[in-house]
Amino acid sequence: MLAIDVHQLRKQFKVQKNREGLKGAFKDLFKREHTEVTAVKDISFQIPQGEICGYIGENGAGKSTTIKMLTGILVPTSGKLLVNGFVPHKDREKFVQGIGVVFGQRSQLWWDIGVIESFRLLRKVYRVDETDFRKRLDELVETLQLQELLNRPVRKLSLGQRMRCELVAALLHNPSILFLDEPTIGLDIVVKTEIREFLKRLNREQGTTILLTTHDLQDIEALCSRVIMLDDGRIIYDGGLEELKSRWGKGREVQFQFTDPVTLAKVSELTGELEVRWSLDNDLTAKVWIPREMNVSEVLSRVVGRLDISDIKIFETNTDEIVREIYQSGSAEAPRDLSALTLGDDPDAAEKEPVQAGAAKR
Amino acid sequence: MMSMYLDFVRIRFLMMLAYRVNYYSGIVIYAINIGAYYFLWKAIFGEAETLQGFTVIQMSTYVAVSWMARAFYFNNLDREISNEIVDGSVAIQIIRPYSYLLVKMMQGFGEGLFRLLLFMIPGMIVVSFIFPLELPTDPMQWIVFFVMIWFSFLINTQLNLLTGLGAFFFENNQGIMSMKRIMVDLLSGVVVPIAFFPGWAISIMNWLPFQAITYLPGSVFTGRIQGADVWNALLVQVAWTIVLIVPILLVWRAARRRLFVQGG
Amino acid sequence: MSRFAFTLGLYRDYLANYMKTKLSYRADFWVEVLSDLLFNGLNLVFIFIVFLHTPSLGGWSEAEVVFVYGYFMIASGVFSTFFSAWNFSERYIVKGEMDRVLTRPAHSLTQVMLENMDPPAMFGALVGLAILISSWATLGLPFHWYDPLVLIVMVMGSCFIYMGIYTAMSAISFYSDAPTGIGPLIYNIQNYGRYPVEIYNKTIKFLLTWLLPFAFVGVYPASYFLGRLEEWWMPWLTPVVGLVFLTLGVAFWNYGVKRYRGAGS
Repeated sequence: MLAIDVHQLRKQFKVQKNREGLKGAFKDLFKREHTEVTAVKDISFQIPQGEICGYIGENGAGKSTTIKMLTGILVPTSGKLLVNGFVPHKDREKFVQGIGVVFGQRSQLWWDIGVIESFRLLRKVYRVDETDFRKRLDELVETLQLQELLNRPVRKLSLGQRMRCELVAALLHNPSILFLDEPTIGLDIVVKTEIREFLKRLNREQGTTILLTTHDLQDIEALCSRVIMLDDGRIIYDGGLEELKSRWGKGREVQFQFTDPVTLAKVSELTGELEVRWSLDNDLTAKVWIPREMNVSEVLSRVVGRLDISDIKIFETNTDEIVREIYQSGSAEAPRDLSALTLGDDPDAAEKEPVQAGAAKR
Repeated sequence: MMSMYLDFVRIRFLMMLAYRVNYYSGIVIYAINIGAYYFLWKAIFGEAETLQGFTVIQMSTYVAVSWMARAFYFNNLDREISNEIVDGSVAIQIIRPYSYLLVKMMQGFGEGLFRLLLFMIPGMIVVSFIFPLELPTDPMQWIVFFVMIWFSFLINTQLNLLTGLGAFFFENNQGIMSMKRIMVDLLSGVVVPIAFFPGWAISIMNWLPFQAITYLPGSVFTGRIQGADVWNALLVQVAWTIVLIVPILLVWRAARRRLFVQGG
Repeated sequence: MSRFAFTLGLYRDYLANYMKTKLSYRADFWVEVLSDLLFNGLNLVFIFIVFLHTPSLGGWSEAEVVFVYGYFMIASGVFSTFFSAWNFSERYIVKGEMDRVLTRPAHSLTQVMLENMDPPAMFGALVGLAILISSWATLGLPFHWYDPLVLIVMVMGSCFIYMGIYTAMSAISFYSDAPTGIGPLIYNIQNYGRYPVEIYNKTIKFLLTWLLPFAFVGVYPASYFLGRLEEWWMPWLTPVVGLVFLTLGVAFWNYGVKRYRGAGS
C-alpha cells in the first residue's frame, strides 16, 4: 500500500506586494497590490509504506509548502493527495492521529514544565491508552536515553536533548508516517548520528514511513534510499541517492593554502591536461574542483611536489551544491520509473507516472 | 552618527505605515475613547456649570487633547525591550556600535512622529468637529504645548525603558509592565484630571513624574495654567527628564553586568 | 467518548499543566493577580473619584454603578480565565504555531484557548463577586433563591458574547498578516459596557447594544438585579445575544481556518 500518493499537486498563494519607499508605503495604506505565486507546480510522486525519503531543494523551492499540504495544514489548490488513505485536509482531526510531525525550528513541547508533563498532555490530546502510552514511552525513552531528562523543563534542555524529546512527542501515538522538517538543523555531529540511528531503527522495527526535508547531505546519505529534489515548485529529480550522486554530485573540491603567492595561470599549468577547474580565493589560497571519476591523489601529486603548501582541505559536495549544479546544467534528470516502487498491489499506480516533472527548467 | 539614529526614526516611521489597518483602527480607538469620556463627563457634570474649576467645554477639550497627546507619547518600548531580553536578542543589539537605549528611544520617536502626523493632527481636526472644543488662540500656547508633549514623550519613554529593562531582573516582567501602564494612565491624568483627586492624593501626585506626562501639557492647552506658571510646568518636566536619567543608567549598568556575567 | 467530554477532559489536563508551570514561578502568579486587580482598581478609583463630585451618573447612584462594575468584573474575569489569546496573531500566525495546532487532533480553537488559559483572572471574578454582594447589601436589594442561578445564566451569556467577539477578532489574523490593531479597538469599546448606557448618545448606545453588545456584559444583566427595568426582557436577551455571537464568532473562526489552510504563508 502507498503511504503517500500525490498526483498533480498544485499550490498557489496570493502575496501582498509592498511598494517601495515612503510614497509606496502611503499608496499601500489605501490599496494593496497582490501577486499570485505558485509555490508547488503540479507535482506527482508516490511513497510506499516503510520507505525513508529525502525531500530536498533550496529555500523557497516549495518543500515546506508540500509538507504542509501532506500534513493537512494547507489545502491544495488542485491535484489529488492521499496520505495514509486519508485526504489530509478533510477529516483533519482523524487524519493527524496517524501521522507524527517534527518541525526542527519549532517546539511542540511546553516550555516551562518537565518534559514528561508535555508527553502526558499529548497522550490526552491524541487519546492514547494509558498502558500503550507507558509501553511506548518506556521504549522511546530507553532508545533515546532520556531517563534523566524527563523531569527537566524544556527551557533547560540543550538543543540536542530537546530534539530527542520532540521526536518522542511526535511518536507517542505510534504514527505510521513521520514528517520531519529539518530534524538535524543546528545539532552537533554526535547528536545528529544518534538521531539518524534512531530513525533508521524506527523504520526497520516499526516500518514507519519517514519523509524528511534537510540541507544536510549526510542525513540523506545515512537514511534515505530515495531522494526527491525540488526546484521552483517542480520535481527535478526523483530517484535513488547513489544515482544522484554519481550523476550530479560528481566532484570534490580541494583547497590549497600556499606559502608563496600564486596565480591562476601558474596553478592551472600544474594540472595541465587534467579536467579540473581552478579558482583563486586570494594570492595564497586556491581551490581546485575535481570530477568524481578522477582520483584526488592524481591532482595532489601534481601540486604537492611543485609548490610549498601550508594546508590542504578536501570538501565533499553537499546537497545544496548538487542541486546548484543541476540548476546550472540547465536540464534535469527524468524521474525514475515509479511503477517499480508500487510492488503491483495498486493497479492504478503504474499510470501515475509524472511526465512533466522531467521537463527542462530555467 | 546622528544620521544613523535618524535612520532608526525613519525606518520605524515606515514600519508604522506598513501596518495600515493598525493606523485606521488607532484613529477609531482614540475617537471612541474621547467620545466615551466626553459623554461620561457630560453625565458627571449634569446640571453643574463647573467642577473643580473646569467648565464643560474645558473638560471636553482636556479629554480630547490628553488622549491626542497620549497618541504621541505612548509606545510599547517596555514590551519590546522586555521581549528582546527574554528571547536573548538584546545581546546581539548590545555588541552593535550604537547605544541600545538611544536606538530604542529613536524607534519610539519614529512611532510617535507617525502618530502625531497621521493620527493626532487629523484626529484632533475630526474631534473638534464632532465635539464642542475650545482650542487656544494664542500661537505661543500652541508652541509651548508642542514643546511640552515632547517632554511628555521623553518622560514616558524613560519610564518605559526602566520597566522594560526590569526583564533582566525579574523572570516575568509582564506584571510590572502592566502595573506601570495602569499607573501612568491613572496618575498622569488621562482618565481623571489630577484636580479631581482628593487633596491628599494631589499632594502625593505632585511629587511623582506622572503628572508631567499628561496633566501639565493638558492644563497649559486648556488655559488652566497661564503666565509664569507655564514656565514652572515646563521646568517640572525638564527636571523629571533629567532626574530619570540617573536610575536608567544605574539599571542599565547593572543589566549589562548581569548580561556579561551570566550570559543573559 | 463524546467530543464534549473529551474537550472538557483536555481543559482539566491543560489546567493542571498550567498550574505546574506556575508553581515554578509562584511570584509571577501573584504579580499577575495583583496587576489584574490593580487594573480593576483603576476603574473603581475612577468611579469613586467621579462620585466625589456628583451624586449621580445619568440617574444611577454610586452603589448602583459599583454594582454594575462588580458584575462586569465577574463576567470578564471568568472570560479571561478561559480565553486570553491576545497575542494570537503574533504567536500563531507570524511565528507559525498555528501549523503545529493543525497537526493535532482537537479543534483548533479549543487548542488555542487551552494554550492561553489565564487562571489568575479568576481572582478578578472573585473580587467582582465580593463587590457585587457588598453593594447588594448597601442597596438593600431583595434576595430570591433563584438569583444565584440567574446570575450564572447571565454571566455565561456575557462570557459567550466576549468569546464570540474575541474569537472573531482573533480570526481576522487569518485574513490579514499585518497586526490589525482591532484587538485594542474592541478592548477599548468593551470598557464602556460597564457604565449606564443612558449617558451615551444614541449611536453609541446602539453600538453597545446591538453591534458590539458589550452593554450585555454589564449594565443590562445587572439591571435585572437592580430592578431598574425599562423593558423587562432586556436582561433576558443576554444569554440569547451570547449564543448568537458565540455561534457567529466560531463560524467566522472556522471559515478563517479554512482560508488560512487555503492561502497559507
